[in-house]
Amino acid sequence: MLIDANVALGPWPFAPLPERTAPQLVAYLKSHGVNRALVSHLGAIFLPEPMPANRALFAAVRRTPTLLPVPVINPALATWREHLAACIAAAPIRAVKIIPAYHNYSLRLPALAPFVAAVNAAGLRLIVATRLEDERHRYHALAVKGLPVAQLAAFLARFPATHFVCSGLYKPEIETLAATHENFSADIAFAEWLNTLALLTQKIPARRLLLGTNTPLFDTRAQVDKLRLARLPAKTLALIGSANAARLFGL
Amino acid sequence: MRIIDAHTHPVFMHDGATPAAARRLVAHGRAHGIVKMVALGDVLVHGRLPSAAQCRRINDETAQLKRWHPDYFIGFCCLNPTLGARAVEREVERCVTQHGFRGIKLEISNNARDACMGAVMAAARRWNLIVLQHTWSQTNIHQRRFHSDPADTAWLARRHPDVSVIMAHLTGCGYRGVLEAKGLPNLFVDTSGAFPEAEILDFAVQELGAERILYGSDLPIRETSVTVGRVLGAHLTAAQRHLILHDNAAKLFRL
Repeated sequence: MLIDANVALGPWPFAPLPERTAPQLVAYLKSHGVNRALVSHLGAIFLPEPMPANRALFAAVRRTPTLLPVPVINPALATWREHLAACIAAAPIRAVKIIPAYHNYSLRLPALAPFVAAVNAAGLRLIVATRLEDERHRYHALAVKGLPVAQLAAFLARFPATHFVCSGLYKPEIETLAATHENFSADIAFAEWLNTLALLTQKIPARRLLLGTNTPLFDTRAQVDKLRLARLPAKTLALIGSANAARLFGL
Repeated sequence: MRIIDAHTHPVFMHDGATPAAARRLVAHGRAHGIVKMVALGDVLVHGRLPSAAQCRRINDETAQLKRWHPDYFIGFCCLNPTLGARAVEREVERCVTQHGFRGIKLEISNNARDACMGAVMAAARRWNLIVLQHTWSQTNIHQRRFHSDPADTAWLARRHPDVSVIMAHLTGCGYRGVLEAKGLPNLFVDTSGAFPEAEILDFAVQELGAERILYGSDLPIRETSVTVGRVLGAHLTAAQRHLILHDNAAKLFRL
């Protein structure tokens, strides 16, 4: 039983990746031992406003209850309150995601204070996506960089009472943030070194790590094997593989 | 499943140079089905331009690993080609005759097109060595003065068709890099480099054939379960997987 906290549907314009329907994605993830997944729509990254992609996401997963929709909200847009309300009304959601680097705002954005408050008031978890790909390999005409870890640290300090989920952090970034902040959990999609999880869990409690594969951009088998073959106690693997996600997202 | 890892750094920034660490790494490898590792040396410990003495120290560490585990590690000789032909020839001869190294590892001292590579390729030809060239797409890195783009490594292989060249880091080379490697039977690509980006290995097999691809992990920078998993996760036949994970390297390294 695995829960994947970092999966997407929809097209990625920069590589010939498979574009799966929701039922196909369910079957594909199941073939790799993933029973439930938090899923966003890649279209939300590139459209001028993310709601068409969020609507496509809700429609796609309506009949696949093991895919839990995570709409993307852009709090730099004047209409973020309407967007958040529309997402809450559209489907039972557990979390919303922001992607500051792709949506051209920093975590110092003033609107983030009311936005975080609104997300908390709605009982939702906020996922901060720090990167989607290795910046060295991005499409040459894009200038998107990963979210600076110092900016994320300041953001975590600004909202000490809120526990965030950060996706896309490199292993050293998780370790740096974990040394000073307790109000975040991180997925392991971009954390890698020899014996990744054994090393990471020396720096951050296992209860704050989540399986995240970054499917379809990354190879799902490889990402799942990072957890499945880690030489850690079964209880620790269960925390990272599913229990933490279940707790954080109320599943 | 028997695997040969064509791209490892068992000693990395001084870590891993003890008998206990080497034993742990061999046990780790064997637990993942890896029957042999190509040890490329602690290639960046002295920066991108190691002196002759520093190259010797790096290679002596690799030789020590070989002595501890002679059936497990295959040594490659770390060089700084900009030190000149005499230094290159001397160090290659020492590594081959005294330590039985099978190849040459080139990092980012210079670009693969630079004139100083002539002595390296001559030494490789003389001693029948494989040349593994660190390669990464320079589209977004902009270090081409000393950092080889796939086009540069392909140029090197094209210019020296009698020397087998490994273009390291499939993922770092990207789709453009795979296309650069087409039509060059002496040029191989290893699967190491960066995160397990989906589909690129499938693309490489489609464009180059499985016979031109070698499994490489780049450990300890990468996780073994991930680097093996990306091969197992690609849409390959069992025969193609076997070639990539083992047979191509066994043939190339004459094992």
